[in-house]
Amino acid sequence: MSKKMTYIALLQLTIISISMILSGCDKHENAKASEIPQLQGKLILTGSSTVAPLANEIAKRFEAQHPGVRIDVQTGGSSRGIADSRRGTADIGMASRALKSSESDLTAHTIAMDGVGMILHQDNPIKSLTDKQILDIYTGKITHWSKLGGTDNPITVINKAEGRATLEVFLHYFKIKNENIKPSIIIGENQQAIRTVAGDPNAIGYVSIGTADYEASHGIPIRLLPINGIKATVANVRKGVFPMSRPLNLVTHGKISPLAAAFIAFASSSQINDLVEAQYFVPIAQ
Amino acid sequence: MTNWTNRIATVLMWFTALLVTSVFLWIITDLLRQGITHLSWEFLVTAPSDAGRSGGIGPILISTLLILGVCLLTSVPIGVPTAILLAEFSRKGHWFGRLIRSSLDVLAGVPSIVFGLFGNAFFCFYLGMGFSILSGGLTLSCMVLPLLIRSTEEGLRSVPDDYRQAATALGLSDAATLWRIILPAATPGLIVGLILSISRALAETAALLFTSGYADRMPQSLMDSGRSLSIHIYDLAMNVPGGEAQAYATAMVLIALLLIINVATSWASTRWLHGRISL
Repeated sequence: MSKKMTYIALLQLTIISISMILSGCDKHENAKASEIPQLQGKLILTGSSTVAPLANEIAKRFEAQHPGVRIDVQTGGSSRGIADSRRGTADIGMASRALKSSESDLTAHTIAMDGVGMILHQDNPIKSLTDKQILDIYTGKITHWSKLGGTDNPITVINKAEGRATLEVFLHYFKIKNENIKPSIIIGENQQAIRTVAGDPNAIGYVSIGTADYEASHGIPIRLLPINGIKATVANVRKGVFPMSRPLNLVTHGKISPLAAAFIAFASSSQINDLVEAQYFVPIAQ
Repeated sequence: MTNWTNRIATVLMWFTALLVTSVFLWIITDLLRQGITHLSWEFLVTAPSDAGRSGGIGPILISTLLILGVCLLTSVPIGVPTAILLAEFSRKGHWFGRLIRSSLDVLAGVPSIVFGLFGNAFFCFYLGMGFSILSGGLTLSCMVLPLLIRSTEEGLRSVPDDYRQAATALGLSDAATLWRIILPAATPGLIVGLILSISRALAETAALLFTSGYADRMPQSLMDSGRSLSIHIYDLAMNVPGGEAQAYATAMVLIALLLIINVATSWASTRWLHGRISL
């Protein structure tokens, strides 16, 4: 009899302690929300790992302005962001590409652009290259600058490491596979590509335009090439006319909560331009 | 002739041993060289800013320890009794023991990303825990259970039957035999299982990405999402341009943490062992 009672008491204790753990975060939110009567609640963002670091920084700034709000940013890739926002398991999805025609049930809110430009050393006499010529250089069909009207030196082909966002944009634009590229050097960061090209007059590489533009205007001897006749400038990326670029999107499905709408409005405003630039992306809000 | 084969075998063995050691030393030197300049007390206690390029890893360190705590607090109380049941109280070749053992072996071979997806579906959504430290710890717990149970079971089995017979001859109860003799004698196996589990849990990325999540703020409760050190390293290395140095420094912290916890575990269990029986 008494043993049974003890068991029941223990069981109750366990249930109570579990429910206390589970309700822990709600209490915390309520306490904060009562101080500031404006926006409150929790948002979950999932998706592209390219957008996630930027979204996390935007979320921190938004939380600082609205102490009653909690925003959890989770990753998993663009496809997951799209699936989660469609299923409703995330309030907002993140995708580092434009929506496909099969995804017309969703709404994309572009918060920044990511442009990729080809860079040469400043002393390289080549002023422009056609898409075909760039393709031939990267697939090893053209190995010397002399073939393109330049100096009689071998071309140093710089490619990005697997998993880099710029590599994906590059491969997507030229419609080739990474294994068909014959690189002289494989590097990781934009900065590393810029340093390599700046130190080698025979090198060609591709980097995020925001970074290259900044470095070129600060005396680093590199030059951005036009792609398909369009100048590789931040302005052209912002306008969406530069071909080798992609939008960084927040994706929503159906009707969204006032909190989600407020966050998207904030993320699309010029208040976050410095954060966008810090991640080497191109801001679109003026 | 045999002299020659011996010599070749010796050289080969030395070579392979040196190869293994040099890989380890290479990794450590590389980490030290690239990460030591960023390491400071500030780095350990402050929160990350600018996507992790500046600031420190304070909240991430706390989240990692909480995840590990949840993992161990759930896996040890389930794992050790299961191992005792398998080693001490089930007849050899009984279907029930065989079923448990083979399911554990299958589980031990499941890739961690599968545990991550399971944890995401079961703990995060089915049980409604969301992206949280609790979900992450429980997912890791499922992942390390096979390891823990199997190595504890091996430890128990390596205790000579003489001990059990002597205990029975002296009229000791089953419980006393287990608690005073078998368990202390099986401690080395348990430590190996525990250390392997801790290492696997701390190193895990895939299983945690979808369960404990990506949020890098200081966790307020176990229901908050919290980023682990391994996920932070992954994110800095893959998604954040200019995050390499911080990634190296974080990796150093992870390895140091691993060494400290492992040494502490084996020290504590050896002390416990000596308190029980004097060998």
